[in-house]
Amino acid sequence: MRALWSQWKADLLRTARDRRFFVLTLGMPIAFYLIFISEAGQDLKISGTFWSAYFMVSMATFGVVGSSVNTLGVRLATERKSGWVRWLRTTPLSSTGYAVAKILTQLTLSLLIVAVVFAVAHFDQGVTLSIRKWVEIFGWLWIGSVPFSALGVLIGLAGNAAQILGTLVYLTLSFLGGLWTPVQMMPKTMQEIARWMPTYRFANPAWDILEGKSVPLADVAILLAYTVLFIVAAALGQKWIDARPEM
Amino acid sequence: MKAVSKHFGHREAVSNLTLDIPAGQAMALLGPNGAGKTTSIAMMLGLTRPSRGHVRLFGADPGSVQAHTRIGVMLQGVSVPDRLTVKESLNLFRGFYPRPLPLAHLLDISGLAGDARKMAGQLSGGKTRRLQFAAAMAGDPQVLFLDEPTVGMDIGSKRQFWDTLRTFIADGRTLVLTTHDLQEADVVADRVVVMNSGRVIADATPERIKMEFGGRQVSFVAAEGQAIDGLRQWAEVQDVHTAGRHVAVLTKDSDQVVRRLILEGWDISDIMIAGGGLEEAFVRLTDQAGGPA
Repeated sequence: MRALWSQWKADLLRTARDRRFFVLTLGMPIAFYLIFISEAGQDLKISGTFWSAYFMVSMATFGVVGSSVNTLGVRLATERKSGWVRWLRTTPLSSTGYAVAKILTQLTLSLLIVAVVFAVAHFDQGVTLSIRKWVEIFGWLWIGSVPFSALGVLIGLAGNAAQILGTLVYLTLSFLGGLWTPVQMMPKTMQEIARWMPTYRFANPAWDILEGKSVPLADVAILLAYTVLFIVAAALGQKWIDARPEM
Repeated sequence: MKAVSKHFGHREAVSNLTLDIPAGQAMALLGPNGAGKTTSIAMMLGLTRPSRGHVRLFGADPGSVQAHTRIGVMLQGVSVPDRLTVKESLNLFRGFYPRPLPLAHLLDISGLAGDARKMAGQLSGGKTRRLQFAAAMAGDPQVLFLDEPTVGMDIGSKRQFWDTLRTFIADGRTLVLTTHDLQEADVVADRVVVMNSGRVIADATPERIKMEFGGRQVSFVAAEGQAIDGLRQWAEVQDVHTAGRHVAVLTKDSDQVVRRLILEGWDISDIMIAGGGLEEAFVRLTDQAGGPA
């Protein structure tokens, strides 16, 4: 427990010093939000809610996915390559402890990203929701980020390719899942594709909460299936890597 | 370690190795690159599972957390975490162990007190090694595993480092060290295990290993009519090779051989003295052991 705490603290400190994280993972969603909102105007409505609130959810999702898939993936790949992971495995911080510390760090960062995007939407664009809705959406976006952390772990196994792969997966999933352009505005085929994207299933319940609906079970089920898929793939990948000579 | 083998594909990195390292021993695993030292250490630490055989650490699974709280490890080719200062890196490691050593003590034994606020990633190679050593010591370990610890250190740092290690051993703790530097093994260890091609080819005190490996070669050209057969009877001579008039004498005491050659007025020219060289010695020993050279 002590070891985990130590690793978590150090990881947060390292993220706080990471300029790439602030520019890409935190800066991009906020910049996109402000640009797309000002283009559309304040009063535009979409699926029973204001565009500024709808797109706030999109960009919070976008930010969380970026931090989990891209930032986490690249960091894991780097730590693996530098032998750091190997060294940690000889300390009382077990592999499980390392993984849990990473997930905790990721959850903390997700919390931060969602909070910042919400704050910008609220204070800059005057997005107002009932306390209950704020809490519900916040809670969902936080918990729902777990499958993307698992995907980040999977991408972290890709070694040198992690950086490119991470960025590619991050942007493709965001686009296909309707985080940039609302699904309703997409052509029919694209809509069909979007429904199978984990990103869509992540954002959709939050959009539904905005409308006053509850979280659809289908979304939860599909996200769970993705989580299992990513974890199994990561475990298999890890096994395959362990079987190879490291020296 | 008992009857341990490790294969990577078809290559056998470690072959049927049995090794018992009792508590309180300072053991050096000596051998050329690719001898299987690093793989052996990796198996002792539970990083790699042996293909055959058993490895126990404190009588338990070497991968267990319990075992890991009592050891400190310095690996090869490992960087320190980025975006942390020296102090923060050490505190990170101190946080892993139930009874860590004080930060000031760690900075002191690694000589990094002046660099505590520097970013760990920006240290020189030698200082990085010292930081890794301090991190290995963070948990006040019973056993230290050091894989080629002094690579990249200048000779001054090396001597200081060896002093620190000797203090550690004098406390009755256990040290397992790999090196390809016979001098390092000699200075630090009380037992030297020599490996080559995944096998143990010698296991003895440093003094014995030095005799075995530290031999010199005195070579010269003997003049026509100079009998050389008498050389073989000299107490300090181990072996004599001849090729025509070229003579190579293997000895542990090249000084005495040369002195006698001169004082007894041997008619010889082109006298050369060469260090036995570990690499040559490895080849020689492996040949004797019947393994692949």
